[in-house]
Amino acid sequence: MAGSALRRLMAEYKQLTLNPPEGIIAGPINEENFFEWEALITGPEGTCFEGGIFPAKLIFPPDYPLSPPKMQFICEMFHPNIYADGRVCISILHAPGDDPMGYESSAERWSPVQSVEKILLSVVSMLAEPNDESGANVDAAKMWREDRKQFNKIAEKLVRKTLGLPSP
Amino acid sequence: MPVTLVDRLPLPNLKVYTAGSVLLLSVAVYYAVSVTNDPNWRTNTTVQALEGAAQGPTGDAALSPPPLRAPLQLTNDTGNVTEQMVEVISFMMQEPLCIWTLVNGAYCALGVAGCALRRLVFGRLRVAEAQRIKDKFWNYVFYKFIFVSGVVNVQYMDEVLLWCSWFTLLGCLHLLAQLCKDRFEYLSSSPQPARWAHARLLALLAGVLGAAGTLLAAAARWGLPVGRDTFAFMAAECVLVGVTALHVVARFVLRARDADPAGPAAYYTHLVFDSVSLATELAHVAHMVVHCNALVSMASLVLLMQLRHLLHALLARLRRHRIYTALAHHMRRNYPMASREEVEENEDNCAICWEPMKEARKLPCSHLFHNSCLCRWVQQDASCPTCRRALSAAADAARRPRPPRPLRPLHPLRPLRPPPLAPHDPHAPHGPQLAANVNRANHFFHFDGSRYVSWLPSFSVEVRRVRADAPPDPPADSQLEAMARQVQQVFPQFSLDALSEDLAHTRSPDRTVDNILAGRLLPHPHQHHQQHQHHQRHGDVSHAEEPPATVTAPESPGPAEHAPGPAEHAPDRFGVLERPRDSGEWQVRFSVSAAERQRTLQRRKDQLLAAARRRYLLRDRRQPAAPPAPAAPPATAAPAAQPPFK
Ligand SMILES: [Zn+2]
Ligand SMILES: [Zn+2]
Repeated sequence: MAGSALRRLMAEYKQLTLNPPEGIIAGPINEENFFEWEALITGPEGTCFEGGIFPAKLIFPPDYPLSPPKMQFICEMFHPNIYADGRVCISILHAPGDDPMGYESSAERWSPVQSVEKILLSVVSMLAEPNDESGANVDAAKMWREDRKQFNKIAEKLVRKTLGLPSP
Repeated sequence: MPVTLVDRLPLPNLKVYTAGSVLLLSVAVYYAVSVTNDPNWRTNTTVQALEGAAQGPTGDAALSPPPLRAPLQLTNDTGNVTEQMVEVISFMMQEPLCIWTLVNGAYCALGVAGCALRRLVFGRLRVAEAQRIKDKFWNYVFYKFIFVSGVVNVQYMDEVLLWCSWFTLLGCLHLLAQLCKDRFEYLSSSPQPARWAHARLLALLAGVLGAAGTLLAAAARWGLPVGRDTFAFMAAECVLVGVTALHVVARFVLRARDADPAGPAAYYTHLVFDSVSLATELAHVAHMVVHCNALVSMASLVLLMQLRHLLHALLARLRRHRIYTALAHHMRRNYPMASREEVEENEDNCAICWEPMKEARKLPCSHLFHNSCLCRWVQQDASCPTCRRALSAAADAARRPRPPRPLRPLHPLRPLRPPPLAPHDPHAPHGPQLAANVNRANHFFHFDGSRYVSWLPSFSVEVRRVRADAPPDPPADSQLEAMARQVQQVFPQFSLDALSEDLAHTRSPDRTVDNILAGRLLPHPHQHHQQHQHHQRHGDVSHAEEPPATVTAPESPGPAEHAPGPAEHAPDRFGVLERPRDSGEWQVRFSVSAAERQRTLQRRKDQLLAAARRRYLLRDRRQPAAPPAPAAPPATAAPAAQPPFK
């Protein structure tokens, strides 16, 4: 079924090229392997991640879009919903059968009508509004709740890093 | 096979190898000629062979009885050359060293031929293809080694040689068929209309099929007299090659007839080919196991493992088919196929595979999907992919649907994307009235060739009038500041920074003033980008309920209703969409060439990064001491604070 996955990925690539959402670029790292993409996400404005360009890797399963891709930031990140190794923890990236969570949350899980674009837009809104209930990074979640100033400072440093600028 | 070997080694090595082989061969021929020049060579070598061929030929010095052929050679002068050639060849066939040289020469020729064929038909191999071929090659070599060493009981070197050459030929065909399959899959997914590549592939496939048929005939001619087992071993491989090649041909046919790639015709074709190929291989391996010399040996162990693997694969395939039929049956009973009108009315593609639908199944929530796409999805999760209404206990659900779950936007979705002709220049001022302007100024032409014949290209051309007064280069900072002051005199409540930020985008005081008058630019220092924020943050669940009168999608239906965006984009499958951006921006274009696409992507990434860096430094310079803004308040406030457009 890799053929249909390829066709779909090609269609998505095309759409993201012709009509890119503001501040988001995504495409295969190398077209030799269409199942591995890199995405650049601009930190949403008005948030502590504003201005940063965060690179992430997307790995698609052969039965995409029936199963969700995996997403991992390849830059340093400090965020309540991002694991220390860069993996992103948002509901849209979870397969419906992943874990028996509540009735409500299953609605927000992966379905084939989702797309790379929607994933990336959800990640942008995740960057803007961390969900401190799901603690992928407990330290970050705690700091987000209790010491916002310090959190912003760290985020600022990360932003500078992604832009290749020296820390002040 | 040779193709891979050639690919594994850098090309000069093939040249070196070829040169070496040619040199070796010519030495052998020269040697054979010099030996056969002596009329007595036949007896010499015969004597020598009796003495022991391993010593090597030094026979011309030996004494010998008078020549048998000498009179003939002297009488017939024209026949002399042919005679001598026959002599040389028959000598070479007897002489062990020469035989190996000949074999080496044959492999070399095969390698060169394989390389030439690969270049001719496939061009450069893609990494994935090369990898697949490499795996298949080693796998093949391994199993054939097992076969020759453990299954057929070969006693003589020439028997081994015969089997080896047989498997070499078949291996070539296997690899070529595999390459065709991979390449076809790639071609059918790429947006490039590659008619020539297809034609070359088809020609190669026909060649492979013909060769497989010839080999099968050869097996019947020479294998059958040796024994049924031998014939079966030989024939099985030919059949496997044939089935693989035919499968690719069948894909071609399906595609050429524009069959629904997920429809029943395609499904059953794949099913039949998959199971025939698996069953043949299974029988082949089972036969080998039975024929094995010793039941407990390394060879039989390996073969049994292989047998188990094949059996699993076959059973899994059949089980998948059973589930498929059960589900298909279930769906047939509970969900009707959409009527022709409904399918035609529904202009969206299948939301699962993003391809157009010729026939579709309709769920109780009136969402349409390809039958097979739906089947594959339902195996994972029994719900409508679009609205997530549960399909379990489907018989009931069809008649009395659950108390309607709130159809709030379930996923962080953006409403329908703007139609492809809407401007996507983030720097251009936004607003419905502007979009209308652009629509008027644009000529949009779309030709969908695939509606007539599948390989006809589809393309869209957008002609856009570029504003002549737009300055080609972003104004310098000093210029910006001057313009900002100018605007600030009229609107003192705006900060200079906010104005110059907006001016950096609009590049014209008049348009910035327009923005202010239209309410797109607010005095709050953090909200002059609300459009962008809004745009970006559309994914957020909490914003999705807002009225659809947004900039990006003025007439979009609610998120729960819409099928995914590709509907508008998929028709031009071949992607010759020109999208000129105004004022010196690069042209985003989805090229038909992979390399070009790759370059465009890289350039876009570089530009994004450079722009972000510039913006950041600009902001840094303006507000050196200001801490980064707190995250939540402005972000959520922005869309709400947005005044209606006039
Ligand atoms: Zn479909
Ligand atoms: Zn539905």
